[in-house]
Amino acid sequence: MVATTQRPMPGDRLLTEPLTQGEPGKWDGEFAAPPDLGRTVHIVGPVINVKPSDGPHAKNARGELGPIMFSHYRNRVSADPLARVTGGANHAADPKNVIAQWINRGPKGEINSERVAVDDPEAMTRHIKRVAHFFGADVVGVARAHPTMLNAGQISDEGTAVGGGEPEPLDEVCRKYPFIIVATTAWDHDKIQAHRHHIGDAAYHVSQQKAGLMLKSLEGYIKELGYSALRGVAHGQAAALAAGVGELGRNGMIITEKFGARVNMTGTLMTDLPLAPGRPIDIGVEDYCKVCRKCANSCPTNSITVGDKVVYNGIEKYKINWLTCYRLRPYVHQFWEDCLTCVAVCPYTKPNTWWRTLAIKSLQATPIPARGLVVRALKALDDRFWGIVRQKRVRWMGYDSGIKPGERACTIEGCTADHEEHGQSRGVSGDFGYYYPLKENTNRFVKRDGA
Amino acid sequence: MALRLGPLRIPWPGAAAKDPYWDAFINRPASDPRNAAQEVLRHAAGGAVNPNRVDLHSPEITAAHLRELAAFLGAERMGIVRLRDARADDATESESYPFAIVCAVKAAYDPRTAPGVGGQTPVRDGRFVTFTLAAYIREMGCRATNQKPADEQRLAAAAGLGTLNADGRLVPARGARIHVADEVVHTDLPLAPDGEA
Repeated sequence: MVATTQRPMPGDRLLTEPLTQGEPGKWDGEFAAPPDLGRTVHIVGPVINVKPSDGPHAKNARGELGPIMFSHYRNRVSADPLARVTGGANHAADPKNVIAQWINRGPKGEINSERVAVDDPEAMTRHIKRVAHFFGADVVGVARAHPTMLNAGQISDEGTAVGGGEPEPLDEVCRKYPFIIVATTAWDHDKIQAHRHHIGDAAYHVSQQKAGLMLKSLEGYIKELGYSALRGVAHGQAAALAAGVGELGRNGMIITEKFGARVNMTGTLMTDLPLAPGRPIDIGVEDYCKVCRKCANSCPTNSITVGDKVVYNGIEKYKINWLTCYRLRPYVHQFWEDCLTCVAVCPYTKPNTWWRTLAIKSLQATPIPARGLVVRALKALDDRFWGIVRQKRVRWMGYDSGIKPGERACTIEGCTADHEEHGQSRGVSGDFGYYYPLKENTNRFVKRDGA
Repeated sequence: MALRLGPLRIPWPGAAAKDPYWDAFINRPASDPRNAAQEVLRHAAGGAVNPNRVDLHSPEITAAHLRELAAFLGAERMGIVRLRDARADDATESESYPFAIVCAVKAAYDPRTAPGVGGQTPVRDGRFVTFTLAAYIREMGCRATNQKPADEQRLAAAAGLGTLNADGRLVPARGARIHVADEVVHTDLPLAPDGEA
């Protein structure tokens, strides 16, 4: 078996099995050397490419994670009407009410036969980044494709990755489509302060829908320029690292320079449009994550390691336990859909302001051996002003995280409706937000490894 | 690229001047309409009404919440119109909606004069907002449709988003360049209207 795990974690049993059958992940020619992914992630061995059908949702859809998870994923209408519309289509009363269904399943256009000549890839890269921002992207990057960044499996005639079948020769795919565009939207900062709450769900889901719409528009525009655009073939995080969009944090999230961890990197476009790829960046995540551990300490399921990096599937990185993270959901779905705690507490996740930029620039300007001191100073400031775990009360659209989980109350001033089920406004005061579940309540069924 | 001061457009040396592809992005029509996201959204029909109706707040509060949601989805303005003739004819109750919700989105370019993939982006944004608003109302358990009426500009004016000019186009009440979403949400969700039509 090529994939190795130095420190197995609870729930890793499924992951340590070979992900795909076939040739081990070694590549020849121009792809013999592994790609440069920056300081936070290193490829140190053969990487076996993951099939789209090996992802958590796909495993769950096949019932491999047990009946509770299967039922949670397939047979549940969300408790919150906004989450029904903006979240996964499985959780709406009618999936046709979810716009992502229409965006993802809409007809795909043909590539324009009149190809636009590109004399200067740098100029085209600037143009594509500007177009992506115009379509709504908050972060955009371009990476040079490498087989280790790709999902295994087939590519459909419409240019999307599909599982099963004979895998495509990935080095050939990279030669044919040498560039990966990584573009996504950021979650609203104020709303994800209500992590483990329907308000945070809204920030996550709506940004995901906007990202889907933006990528659909960008895909169509690249085809209009006369070039190919493949959706979902390349792995977003690997491409984001190579493109210089961000660095990989201890929480398993890409941490960007402007928005911190409040972005999700799932969508990519692989293209033959001549572009100029970016380079990995160094914003000090490697140094910060060694010291901080805020995400690991506040994760309700202990899915984030407090230990060192491990080598898994040939990649040296901090490895989260996705299974325990995922398995909490059926027990909390009446309070929230997506946790987001590791994102909300990350010191990099701040409003995009001058003092945040100053902190990152000061970290960047410090020589690497001396960064530990700066990190400790910045973390002390973060703990002092932002708290160790955010418990901020957030109110939006009638939602109020100041109401204790399980209680129902209308806290809107001036509401004259006869809330038969809620009761009228209660005396919820102060600035304290309640986020379910408390960590001590989850420790009973999810123990930290080695604890 | 131009610096815009209200109705004034002052040529400004910016990124567009160095971007040889921008003009085609804004003005060249798509060779295949399916490559334009707004065309994909045109066929988004929407689903059924959730039979389990949620507990509603008072109409003023509900209207304020919809306004917050529309802004979060990307609408620059949103207005609610009470339709006076909603039940005037013999229309059955299922075809009759007492309220119309009109949205306007920011438009860097006017979609009427910029037929390119980029120039049509406000149309896409408008459909995104109206679809999601209507879908949200349906999932709350009230009836709602998002369809293109013949008179969205008149409804926008009635909702207080601006006034109509001689051509029947909306002139925004404030100076921002906006595009009135071509689809309007009709609903029976109890709301506090901004005007009547």
